[in-house]
Amino acid sequence: MARIVLRDLVKTFGAYTAVDGINFEVKDGEFLIMVGPSGCGKTTTLNMISGLETPTSGEIVIGNAVVNDLEPGERGLGMVFQDLALFPHMSVFENIAFGLRVKRVPEDEIRRRVVAAAEAVHIKPLLDKLPRQCSGGESQRVALARTIVTNPSVFLMDEPLSSLDAKLRVDMRTELKGLHRRLGATFVYVTHDQAEAMTMADRIVVMNRGRVEQLGTPLEIYGRPASLFVAGFFGTPTMNFIEGTIEAEGAGRLFRSRAIAHPLPASVPAALAGRSVVLGVRAEHVFVEKEGERRGEVRLTEPLGDATLVFFDCGLPTPLVAKAPPNTPLAPGHALAFRFAPEHCHLFDAVAGTRLN
Amino acid sequence: MKAVATLTAEAARARRLRRERRRGIIRHAVLLVWTAVVLFPIFWMISTSFKDAGEWVTWPPHWLPHSPTLHNYAQIFAFSEMDPSLSRQATEQAFSIWKGLGDAAFICTTSSLLALLLGTFLAYAISRFNVGGRYFRHLILMIRMVPPIVVAIAILMYYAIMIPYATSSLLGVQISLFDTYTGLILLYTVTTLPFVIWMMLSFIDEVPYTLEHAARLMGAGRLTVLRRVVIPLVASGMVVTFLFVFILNWAEFLLALTLTHPEVTTLTVLLNKFQSASEGRLYGPQAAIGTVITLPVVILGILIQKHLVKGFSFGTIRK
Ligand SMILES: Nc1ncnc2c1ncn2[C@@H]1O[C@H](COP(=O)(O)OP(=O)(O)OP(=O)(O)O)[C@@H](O)[C@H]1O
Ligand SMILES: [Mg+2]
Repeated sequence: MARIVLRDLVKTFGAYTAVDGINFEVKDGEFLIMVGPSGCGKTTTLNMISGLETPTSGEIVIGNAVVNDLEPGERGLGMVFQDLALFPHMSVFENIAFGLRVKRVPEDEIRRRVVAAAEAVHIKPLLDKLPRQCSGGESQRVALARTIVTNPSVFLMDEPLSSLDAKLRVDMRTELKGLHRRLGATFVYVTHDQAEAMTMADRIVVMNRGRVEQLGTPLEIYGRPASLFVAGFFGTPTMNFIEGTIEAEGAGRLFRSRAIAHPLPASVPAALAGRSVVLGVRAEHVFVEKEGERRGEVRLTEPLGDATLVFFDCGLPTPLVAKAPPNTPLAPGHALAFRFAPEHCHLFDAVAGTRLN
Repeated sequence: MKAVATLTAEAARARRLRRERRRGIIRHAVLLVWTAVVLFPIFWMISTSFKDAGEWVTWPPHWLPHSPTLHNYAQIFAFSEMDPSLSRQATEQAFSIWKGLGDAAFICTTSSLLALLLGTFLAYAISRFNVGGRYFRHLILMIRMVPPIVVAIAILMYYAIMIPYATSSLLGVQISLFDTYTGLILLYTVTTLPFVIWMMLSFIDEVPYTLEHAARLMGAGRLTVLRRVVIPLVASGMVVTFLFVFILNWAEFLLALTLTHPEVTTLTVLLNKFQSASEGRLYGPQAAIGTVITLPVVILGILIQKHLVKGFSFGTIRK
C-alpha cells in the first residue's frame, strides 16, 4: 500500500509562504502529476514528501503511517532529480549500486540487481562508464535505474525530462509511462510543462502560489477548468478570455461585453444575471464563418499543419483566436464572422476567478 | 583584379605575421630579463652552498665556486655534532639540521593535517547550514588580516607566563606551551585554519546540493554522505589546500622565533642561528640549509599546480 496523503501541509521560508495548506491524496499505483508555474511550490511539496524539507505544519502519510519524523532514507521512496544528481566520481554501476551498498546488501545480490535495473532501462553497455561520458538521454536512464534498483513503492520525479531536447523528451514520456505500468508503483511527478502533464498523468494537481487550484483527470482539467488560472494554464493556444456581464433574456442567458454579445445555454443559472464575469472559450470552439452577426478582421494566421490558427480583431482589447481547417482561405485583412460553441463556454468570476457554470 | 586583391591580402598577412613575431621577441626578452632578476638570489644561494669558507665574501665575487666542495652539506647533514673533522674552531653552535628538519616536518605536517580536517568540516557546516550567518565566510579571512607581530607577544605571554601560572595554581601541575611541539602546532593550526576554511568553502560550494539529497534518499546517513560523496569530490581541493597551508607553515618564522628554542627548533629559526664567534655569519652552511628548505617547497609547488587544475575544474562535470 503506497498511497500518499497530504493534510494541511504548510511550508514557510521566513516570512515567505511557499506551500500554503495543501490537501490531496495520491492513490496506490497512481501516476499523479503536479503542474504549476515556476515558484508555485512544486519542488517544496515534493521535498516535504521525500523528507528533504521539514513541513512547517501539517501531516504526510505514506501507506498507513505518518512519516513526518522519518529520515528521507526510511520512507521507502525513490527520487529522480531535475539535474539527475548522478555522482560524478562513480561509474554508472556504482551510481546504481549506491543505495544497495548503503543498505549493506551482499555483493553478488548487488551485481544481480544492478544488472537487472540497467537492463530494464536499456543501459547495460554503459555500466563501466562515468556519468560525464554518457549523453543526456543515457544519464536520464542511469538516474532511473538508480531509483528502480531499490524497489521503492513510491517514485518522486522533479522535472526529470527538463534537461532533454524536445524529441527525446517526447520519447521518454512514453518510456516513463511504460515503466509505471510495469512497476505498478505510485508515481508523483513534477513538471511545469502542461503537455507533459496531459499526456502522462492519471490525475493532475494544478498548483498556483502554494495552493491546489484543481485536482482531476487530464480531460476534466481540460474540459472543466475550476478556475481562470487553470483554464489559462492548459491548452495551446491559450484559451480566449473576454470580460463582460451576464444578462437574463427570458428563458435564455446572454453574455454581453463592450464589443460583442453572445447567447449562452439555458444551463447557466439565472442567479448569475448581472454578475461581472470572464467568458473563456478555446480556439477549437470558436467557429469561423462567412456570414453572421459578429464580425471581425483577420490579423494573422498560423498554420500548424493539421489546423490553422486564425487571430482576428473584433473590437476587444486583445485579438481572439480560432482553430480553422488547414486549407482555410483566410488571410490577414480579410473580414470574417464568428460564433462560439455555447456548451463549451466557460464562465469565471471576474474577481475571484472561480468557475461559475 | 582578383589576383591583385589576393596579392595585397597576402602582403598584409605577411606584414601582420612579421609584426607579431617582433612583438613576441620583445615580450620574451623582457620576461627572460625578469626571470634572471628573480632567480638570481636563488642561483647565488645554491652557488654559495658549494663554496668553501674563503670564497663566501671574496671581491670580485666568484659567480661559481672555484673549488666546489660538499663541506657545507656534510656539515649540516652531520649526524654527530662533535665530529672533529667537520667542526669549526671556537664554535659551540650545532650545525646539524636533522633536528630542525625533523621538528619542522613534524610540526608542519601535524598542524596542516589538523587544520585541514577541522577546516573541511567547518567549511561544510558553513556552506550547507549557514553556520555563523550570512557574512561569516567573509569575516573568517578578516581574522587573518591581523599581522602576526600583533599577536606574537600576546601569545608569548600566555604560553610562557599565564598558562603555567594558571595551571599550577588551579591544577597543581605547571603546564607550559612555550617551546613545545604542542604549543607551535596549536598556533599553526589556528593561524592557517582561516585559509583552509576559505579555500575549502570554494570547493564544497561547488558540490551540488542534490547529490547529497540523492544519497540521503537512498538511505545514507550524514556521515556516509560526507565520506562517500562530498569528500571524494573535494579530495583534489583538499590536497591543494594541504600543500598551500604546509608551505605557509614551512616558511613561518616570526611565531617560531618568538615561541620556541632551544627545545623545539624549526628550520627557519635554525637558519637564523648560523653564526660563529670567530667567523661571523656562516654563509656556506646557511646557503646549504636554504637550498634544502627550498627544495620541498619547489616540489610541492609543482604538485599544487597539477592539483589546482583538477581541484578547480570538477564544477564542469555537472551537466
Ligand atoms: N530554501 C529556501 N529558502 C527560501 N525560499 C525558498 C527556499 N526554497 C524555495 N523557496 C521559495 O519557495 C517558492 C517555491 O519554490 P519551489 O522550488 O517549490 O518552486 P517550484 O514550483 O518547484 O518552481 P520551479 O518550477 O521553478 O522549479 C519559491 O518562490 C522559492 O523562491
Ligand atoms: Mg522546482
